[in-house]
Amino acid sequence: MIPILLALLIILAVYTLASADLLHGVIALSGISLISALIFYLLRAPDVAITEAAVGAGVSTVVFVWAIRATTRRASPVKNAGSSSAAVLPEDESL
Amino acid sequence: MSGRARRILFLAQIALCVLLVAAVLIPVFLSSMPWPLSARDYLQANGLAESGASNLVSAIYLGYRAFDTLGETIVLLVAISGTIAIIAHGGAVLAQGYGLPSGTASEPARHLPPKTRTELLEVVTGKLGPVVLVFGVYVMMYGHLSPGGGFQGGVVIASGIVFLALGSRVDASNSLTSPENLVRIESAAFALLLLAASSGIISGSGFFGNPLAGAGLTPVAFIITLNAIIGLKVGAGLGFMCIAMLGRGK
Amino acid sequence: MLERILILLLFLIGFAGIVGMRNIIKKIFGLTIINSAVVLLFIVEGSRIGNSAPIIDAEIGLVVDPVPQALMLTAIVIGVCVTALALALAFRLYKAYGSFDIDEIHRQVHRES
Repeated sequence: MIPILLALLIILAVYTLASADLLHGVIALSGISLISALIFYLLRAPDVAITEAAVGAGVSTVVFVWAIRATTRRASPVKNAGSSSAAVLPEDESL
Repeated sequence: MSGRARRILFLAQIALCVLLVAAVLIPVFLSSMPWPLSARDYLQANGLAESGASNLVSAIYLGYRAFDTLGETIVLLVAISGTIAIIAHGGAVLAQGYGLPSGTASEPARHLPPKTRTELLEVVTGKLGPVVLVFGVYVMMYGHLSPGGGFQGGVVIASGIVFLALGSRVDASNSLTSPENLVRIESAAFALLLLAASSGIISGSGFFGNPLAGAGLTPVAFIITLNAIIGLKVGAGLGFMCIAMLGRGK
Repeated sequence: MLERILILLLFLIGFAGIVGMRNIIKKIFGLTIINSAVVLLFIVEGSRIGNSAPIIDAEIGLVVDPVPQALMLTAIVIGVCVTALALALAFRLYKAYGSFDIDEIHRQVHRES
């Protein structure tokens, strides 16, 4: 049971880092917190489970959503989206 | 250098970094050192009698390792003040230094802008907020008997405060979710924690000792007091941080 | 043993996120994932020596080790504060340079100097 949940955590972690929309990443991150809380409950750590659920679903998500709403949702800048940073680096060297 | 080669080089550098960290960590992770049993055995035999709390986690962080809890609350205080300072006040100074318009500095907002609230949000969070707050207080006050305690109850209370702030009407004044009151609660809770911790010195039972041990105050009463103080401090601090951040729009 | 390998993988994914991502918010995601992995490791290892929650009752078997649970309780609360501080710094960087991309920020810093 625990290894299955941990594998799910790894999938969510990869999705968090790979998603192009930062808001999707935040939702996957609170999913990580939720599954962690379930694991803590199954491993007989109810105190940690309460804390992780409240922090991951409430406080942490609010803080991340604030930061993304106040700035931008896109993970990569518009100019060189899809391509590598080679488009910007040559003019860097010319400076 | 072409873009593709540069990208491959970048990926190779990342892979090298990860491999190096893995080389350090794999022996630690794969060692078969047995977990030490002495702390568990001692706590299971003597924890209830010595601290009075049947929840051993509460017994540890308010009894055996209470000094660590004091340091942890200081870290919490510093992190929250730093965050607020960077967002609100330091931001104005930085904006001047970079020649940015001063509008980028922010103040903790009392209410969300009207366009962000919907009927659903208002009904659900406004009705759920008080229930979550009551649950948080329950978790905080019964931490010595059941799963819970100051930190657990504090974060649940912070969630309840965020719910109330999201659900409160634009014009209704809500004294619990105003940043000034939350700051006052947090400062008062920290002063109370220091007072409760050092009251043991006066009566001779040491820092974070039970101050009225000779006068019939059971150890569990002291643990309940500390739980309530820490819960108020964590709840007010995290709630203040969230409300200060909620007020920022584009 | 399988749990340890999976947690190590989770830790390494978070580390790769910190090192390899160009977006600062993605780096903070990696920080949070590493925090989760460390908490998971402590709880999983501490729960091997017992089979009931660390709440003393009339008749229970051996409890799990409560010491790592008390440690991780404070680690979670500190972790969210560190995340908030990092996000506040990222917000300030975005307001100063208009981008989360570290290459873009690097370029603008060089242009100023």
